[in-house]
Amino acid sequence: MDFEETDEGTHVVLAPEGKFNLVAAPPIKARIDDLVAAGKDHLVVDLHAVDFIDSSGLGALIGGLKAARQQGGDLRIAAAGDQVRAVLKLTNLDRILAPYATVEEAADGW
Amino acid sequence: MPPSTARQEAEAIAHSVPAERYDRVVRLAQAIFGAPIAALNLIGTDSQWTVASIGFPQGETPVEDSVCRVTVQHDEIFEVPDLREDDRFAKIPAVTGPPRARFYAGVPVRGQSGQNVGALCILDLVPRALGRQQREMLADLGALLEHELSVQEEMDLAGQVQQLMLPTSAPDIEGVEIAGRVQPAREAGGDYFDWFLVDDPEGGGKLLQVVLGDVMGKGLAAALIASEVRAVLRGHSRYTDVGDAVARASTTTRHDLEANGRFSTLWVGRLDPAGGALEYVDAGHGLAIIASERGYRRLAQDYLPLGTPIEDTWTRASDVLAEDELLVVVSDGVFDVLDDSFEQVEAKLHSILEPGLSCRQIVDRIVTFAVSHEATDDVTAVVVKRVADARPGATSEDTPTATG
Repeated sequence: MDFEETDEGTHVVLAPEGKFNLVAAPPIKARIDDLVAAGKDHLVVDLHAVDFIDSSGLGALIGGLKAARQQGGDLRIAAAGDQVRAVLKLTNLDRILAPYATVEEAADGW
Repeated sequence: MPPSTARQEAEAIAHSVPAERYDRVVRLAQAIFGAPIAALNLIGTDSQWTVASIGFPQGETPVEDSVCRVTVQHDEIFEVPDLREDDRFAKIPAVTGPPRARFYAGVPVRGQSGQNVGALCILDLVPRALGRQQREMLADLGALLEHELSVQEEMDLAGQVQQLMLPTSAPDIEGVEIAGRVQPAREAGGDYFDWFLVDDPEGGGKLLQVVLGDVMGKGLAAALIASEVRAVLRGHSRYTDVGDAVARASTTTRHDLEANGRFSTLWVGRLDPAGGALEYVDAGHGLAIIASERGYRRLAQDYLPLGTPIEDTWTRASDVLAEDELLVVVSDGVFDVLDDSFEQVEAKLHSILEPGLSCRQIVDRIVTFAVSHEATDDVTAVVVKRVADARPGATSEDTPTATG
């Protein structure tokens, strides 16, 4: 899975595409860890181009969230599609990964 | 002759191996040696099993017609420049009839036991001989296959261990029928179900605890964590109510889940078969329903899975399972093929829950449906119903199975 990365100064936006699954999750998680280690701990994952997420994809987001918060930052998700929202809601993970409508809203205040 | 344990091991591998796993190495051998035939043959008790091949049919042949049966008695490459000139092989069908093989070279392949279980061989239709470099290359390919085989055997064994941890008999309690099944996407997986009896912590006698857990990810790594969550939950469940048991299981497994960056959803219910009282906790699982001809209701709560950065409270909720109702719990592998939509669940329920079906039949229908719709994840289902008669759940046809 390819993902776009944009450094907005106050935060970094990662935008994966396609299936966010067992194959795609590890490289994104690794990139999040690198960013957080480099002090870039305010992250937005733009999910508009993700059409399917599985538990491994969720795991990468939760793991990224944890890493960012440990450094005093945060990870937020934006523009999630129907399937992603359904899975977040099913697992109640939307309680800790609230989906924002847009990247701008997610990064509001940063 | 090689010891019979090696032949038994070869038989076991031949019956469990997904053939495509070895096709690549066999294709490589064929291309490197420019030979018309390349094959991986396993030498069983009475048969040679050709599990991967090019230019030669796969399947079973009598072991006495095999050349590889001699190769497995050696520990190095066995080469026959012209099979017609060797009394042991001059009369075997592959030499006297099609494909009329002349040249043979094979490298023995060891199984996990360290004994030779088969051989990677190449055959040509004209007499020839391998050069030194070619012999080295054949030995390298044999080593590659050996590694593949041992990984596969290890995975199969892990899958068996996981399968043997599933409950295999009906619970020793009257008034309930139960069935469950796991179909892992790989040899082992992060899904599991469990059931066992617990003493009612409030002193009301025996209760049936039913569990469906799903550790994120697939394969052996997820299976290891699933095995831990299962054992820890079993341990805590003996002493306290379902909510508390899940909360304690979360505390106990927290380090291991966090260290591995994994989380686990859990649905845990406790049923009193006599009156139908059901207490449950839903830790981010969301896929338990009570269904009947009248419709269905979800047994879901707002709690998080185990292993997230937040420690939740996991307090039990209550419901009652009526005598004409079914408790159905599935994993997200089933939900995925329904497009993660409860509208589709409702539509599908009508065709799955026909009156008169046993729990076993319903579980099989659910799993078969998900697998036939190309589920990519592990697929699990557990179905429970109350029955008036004394323990029909104990009949052999209702014993649960796990299919790997």
